[in-house]
Amino acid sequence: MTMLVALPILLPLLAAGLSLVLGRFATLQRLLGVVVFTANAVLAVVLLAEADKSGPVVLQLGGWDAPVGITLVADRLSALLMLISMVVMLAVLVYSIGQRITDYGRSTSSTAFHPMYLVLGAGVSMAYLTGDLFNLFVAFEIMLGASYVLITRRTTATRVRAGMTYTIVSLTSSLLFITMIALVYAATGTVNLADLSGKVEALPVGVQSAMALMMIVVFGIKSAMVPLHFWLPDSYPTAPAPVTAVFAGLLTKVGVYALIRTQTLVFDHGESWTLLLWFSVITMIIGALGAIAQNDLNRLLSFLLVSHIGYMLFGLALYDVTGLAGAILYVVHHITVQATLFLVSGLLTRHTGTVALRGMGGLAKLYPAIALLFAIPALNLAGIPPFSGFVAKLALLEAGAEVGTTMAYVATGAAVLTSFLTLYAMAKVWVFAFWGKSKPPHPDPDPTDELIIGTGSTSRTMVSATSALVVFGVLIAVFAGPLSEISTRAATDLLDGGPYRTAVLGEEAE
Amino acid sequence: MLLLVTAHLVLAALLPTVSRWLGRWAFAVGAILPAVSLGWALTSLTEVLAGGTVDESVAWAPVLGLTFTLRLDILSLLMIFLVSGVGVLILCYCVYYFKPDAQSNSRTSALLVAFAGAMLGLVLADDLFTLYIFWELTTVCSFLLVGQDGNTKQQRRSSIQALLVTVLGGLSMLLGFVLLGEQAGTYRISEIVASPPAAGALTSTALVLILLGAFTKSAQVPFHTWLPGAMVAPTPVSAYLHAASMVKAGVYLVARLSPAFSDHTPWWPLIATLGIWTMLIGGYRALFERDLKTLLAYGTVSQLGFLMVLMGAGSHTVAMAGATMLIAHGLFKSTLFLVVGIIDHQAGTRNIDELSGIRRRFPVLTVIGAIGALSMAGIPPLFGFLGKEAAFEGFLESGTTGDLVVLVGLVLGSALTAAYSFRFLWGAFGTKPGVEDSSAPKPSLGLMVPAAVPAALTLLLGVVASLFNALATTYAEPYPAGDHPYYLALWHGFSLPLLLSAVVVASGVGLHLARDRVVRLGGWLPDFLQAQPGYERTVAGLDTVSYAVTGRFQAGSLPTYLAIILLTFVLVPGSAVLTGGSMPEELRLWDSAVQVPVAILVLTAAIAVTMAKRRMTAVILTGVVGYGIGAFFVLDGGPDLALAQFLVETLTLVAFVFVLRRLPSRFTQVESTRSPRWPKVAVSVAAGALVAVSALVFSGARQAPPEASEGFVEAAPEGAHANNVVNAILVDFRAFDTVGEISVLAVAATGVASLILATRRARRPSAAEETEGPRKSREVRK
Repeated sequence: MTMLVALPILLPLLAAGLSLVLGRFATLQRLLGVVVFTANAVLAVVLLAEADKSGPVVLQLGGWDAPVGITLVADRLSALLMLISMVVMLAVLVYSIGQRITDYGRSTSSTAFHPMYLVLGAGVSMAYLTGDLFNLFVAFEIMLGASYVLITRRTTATRVRAGMTYTIVSLTSSLLFITMIALVYAATGTVNLADLSGKVEALPVGVQSAMALMMIVVFGIKSAMVPLHFWLPDSYPTAPAPVTAVFAGLLTKVGVYALIRTQTLVFDHGESWTLLLWFSVITMIIGALGAIAQNDLNRLLSFLLVSHIGYMLFGLALYDVTGLAGAILYVVHHITVQATLFLVSGLLTRHTGTVALRGMGGLAKLYPAIALLFAIPALNLAGIPPFSGFVAKLALLEAGAEVGTTMAYVATGAAVLTSFLTLYAMAKVWVFAFWGKSKPPHPDPDPTDELIIGTGSTSRTMVSATSALVVFGVLIAVFAGPLSEISTRAATDLLDGGPYRTAVLGEEAE
Repeated sequence: MLLLVTAHLVLAALLPTVSRWLGRWAFAVGAILPAVSLGWALTSLTEVLAGGTVDESVAWAPVLGLTFTLRLDILSLLMIFLVSGVGVLILCYCVYYFKPDAQSNSRTSALLVAFAGAMLGLVLADDLFTLYIFWELTTVCSFLLVGQDGNTKQQRRSSIQALLVTVLGGLSMLLGFVLLGEQAGTYRISEIVASPPAAGALTSTALVLILLGAFTKSAQVPFHTWLPGAMVAPTPVSAYLHAASMVKAGVYLVARLSPAFSDHTPWWPLIATLGIWTMLIGGYRALFERDLKTLLAYGTVSQLGFLMVLMGAGSHTVAMAGATMLIAHGLFKSTLFLVVGIIDHQAGTRNIDELSGIRRRFPVLTVIGAIGALSMAGIPPLFGFLGKEAAFEGFLESGTTGDLVVLVGLVLGSALTAAYSFRFLWGAFGTKPGVEDSSAPKPSLGLMVPAAVPAALTLLLGVVASLFNALATTYAEPYPAGDHPYYLALWHGFSLPLLLSAVVVASGVGLHLARDRVVRLGGWLPDFLQAQPGYERTVAGLDTVSYAVTGRFQAGSLPTYLAIILLTFVLVPGSAVLTGGSMPEELRLWDSAVQVPVAILVLTAAIAVTMAKRRMTAVILTGVVGYGIGAFFVLDGGPDLALAQFLVETLTLVAFVFVLRRLPSRFTQVESTRSPRWPKVAVSVAAGALVAVSALVFSGARQAPPEASEGFVEAAPEGAHANNVVNAILVDFRAFDTVGEISVLAVAATGVASLILATRRARRPSAAEETEGPRKSREVRK
């Protein structure tokens, strides 16, 4: 069983190499990707079941016990998030295969896309599974490395420039990350997360909080917390739909995961955390206001992405079981819904030839199926019942009321307001794009650029992949009962920390 | 119960696909389920009147308090009469109202059935969140039904306004529910009503938030303008959603919670103030309208204010009046809307100024319309009269000043109601001098019957007043009755309420006749106090704020973004380092004197890099920094580390030299003369200084010996068979990191190759190629 923990990382990594070699055999290359992500999703289910039944599944790599070697840990939280992530990655992969076949025919292969996508998957799994701060850095490097390539792939000069914003900000955050690791190592002599959690307690309070805040800033950049978010709406919309979908769905949430993991396991805040609550409030509000100001559909969705990161920070900042469970539910919900919306946006722009809302019109009549595919995740994101966004939001509101400090009430109010602003933004999209007079599709502004295609053609594969994600999002709501239970157990684990430490360090550590 | 609600939603989901064969009969199929619901409610009548309830519960996510809990009691039963009863009528009416081949029929029928289901769930919900879920579902249905295809600007604006106003209220209500549930320790409505949480700031806040939801949904001033706007919807939709059922949801919620909270401070005063104000404003505005449907919409606003007051007052007699008016309003308003629909359908207009002579042309329709309008005006022996009498009696009973003030408001409001009822009668059916008689074909029976049924009921329930008595009394049971409980009857003797009724009717006639003068008075209300401009300004303000905030910060400039990130780093963790950290006590400046020149070299080179104008200079200076750090490793006794560092630096340098040959020798970016350099210098220096200080503070804070490092040194010779610890770490202890970093290198190489190849890659086929077919032209590229 323990060996299984390494597989979700090694499989896609090895497959990436194979995929590079298979460059000439398009179908094999595609099949390989689909098989690997399916396998990873299955592995995630197995790990989740095992972690839920008998505690964290731990693998000490190379047989070197922590803290000398690197430890991989699959607990409820990491297995759950990995499951959702792998399902979303699989759907996006199928979508992009469909898009590729539609645009270039069945026989052409892509040299870079599949290997990079697999590497990205390996990075995501590694970030979830690692129990080691430096290894987490490596995981981020892998993810970012792959994402640099994906965002600048098959591109134009403008997009490379926008991609540079992404790359340089990410490099800055990596620089801060590695600096922070050096400082952490200087203070504690370890980078193993479980080991750190014991060592940090002994440090002076000032150093502890400085360390916690550094992690907030470092992971805050990755997760696009306001005011560290500016890079995101400027760069994500410049990538083709499937790439943006997977970035928006996963990368920021991996940052949030890292925040949740470190701030619960390593640090003990004891009670709700006013500073982070403030960050969550401005993230929610500034992001949503940004969305309202947009005419570009993808930028609008990117700002909403930023805004809703605030919900997860809110849950984390409350620092109790209900709040954390809400944050976990929100991550699960948001990974799915955000990726879905970007895929739908991809379908739309292929029909309209533009991302400008004011350039679209009357789509509900022309493409009722796509209208439905948009409406469900849009209502879902706005937290309209009975979808998963409502369930997750409700959990957070309840947690806010339960904590009951002034700041918690302020953040709860902000969460409700953000939900309203989100709905306003979505209603604008609906009114501009789906209602009104139909407009003829815009001609492709630049045939060499994959961003806007406007060929008017979507294949069945693309629509099916999108529909599958929409259905998956609905299923999250249907299974809200078991999901909320497992999230609550995961949150209890996080606040306790004992089982994780014992599993990694052995009995005597407790 | 849950099965019934679900069946509605499932049928709604199926209707669009099967309506291809059903055509307009899709509406008739849709009417089946509301009919079943109504039948079920009627069979449960005796049990409910005996004080019994029907309960049902299905868990969804119990950890979060999400459980679908439904309960049928007298209040739900009354609402089901409106929701399902009127629903059946409307859906049958739709069959004949809409064009048989209209494309929108499948959507409209599905949405109406979905709405009927959601509304049924709403009125049956015995759980705050269950209620909220159905509440928002009705909002979404309303949005789509009002907007239709969104072809006209009016449709888009009205549907958005209805959506925004009711969702804002709905969300605040949700927050109120969460707070209330937190206070009460349960989300079950029946439990909360049975043992309400103690009064206090939190409970009061929760109640105000909940009321906000009720007020927006039930179109109370100042949120009311969405309701007249929603009249762009087809008339059957307006009749159902925006007169009979959905807009009563707020009133229903107040009725549901009043037994528990009518004596809490903000509850009743808020309801009374806004309710009366709404009743007056709505009634007054109805006098302005020339469009019959909008006239009725303002009438609905006015009556909703009336109902709010009746449902929130919390006394036995007033509650009886509330139950009576609830049903009476549902009956007469659906009659009137359906009548207007018929007039519009047949005559092609519903404008008062264009209609004339309808009375002569459609005598039966006129009788139906007259029953509705006179019931609305409160004329005996119609059902509306019973409710109004009971209301007057109820507020006279206690004789407190507050109640008398409310009574005055109600009498005034009723006079306005009577006035616009007469205006409606005159406008719809009257013969106007100078207006040509409207030519209109005879309406079909399918349109007339649904309008006639509620009119007949209005007459029946009024004449046989005792029919409804049991229902009203059961509803009022939670409120203590006096020694002589009130009962519904046409004749209570010569009493003050009767006198008031007479006054109301007389002044109604007067107001109607003197309408022109009354309306002219209305110009005094300043613009900013009017609700519609208020809404528009709020939305425009929201847009302005969004643009301002986003435009201000989302500058699109990478240096700005980096500066903000570094500033956050300096300010947030930095303040903690400076306030909470402490410098190590014994601080040696250097271990060996050789370190001093090396440090100076590294620092100078680092500063010089930022000033370099030539690329090559910058690269070499960076190399100097790297080699300098390698030198530190040597001095600190880490030759293996130093070796790695020197190798990396050398390789980088060589690579750079190759790349630089292809680039201009100087940095092309021209230093902007306008933006001063010092902020950048300040931010960089601060960030650098913070890292330096942190390094001291963090290393000084170490308590335990470096376990991992000792572990490496200890295990390397035996465990990894390596004398070089760095090697052992890289290829054994932490080999997994190395695998990762190698992957990063491979990725980078692929990325570079991909960028270089980008100029030579295959292009998507042009349109010409596509038609010619051969996709082979884009064979595998290398």
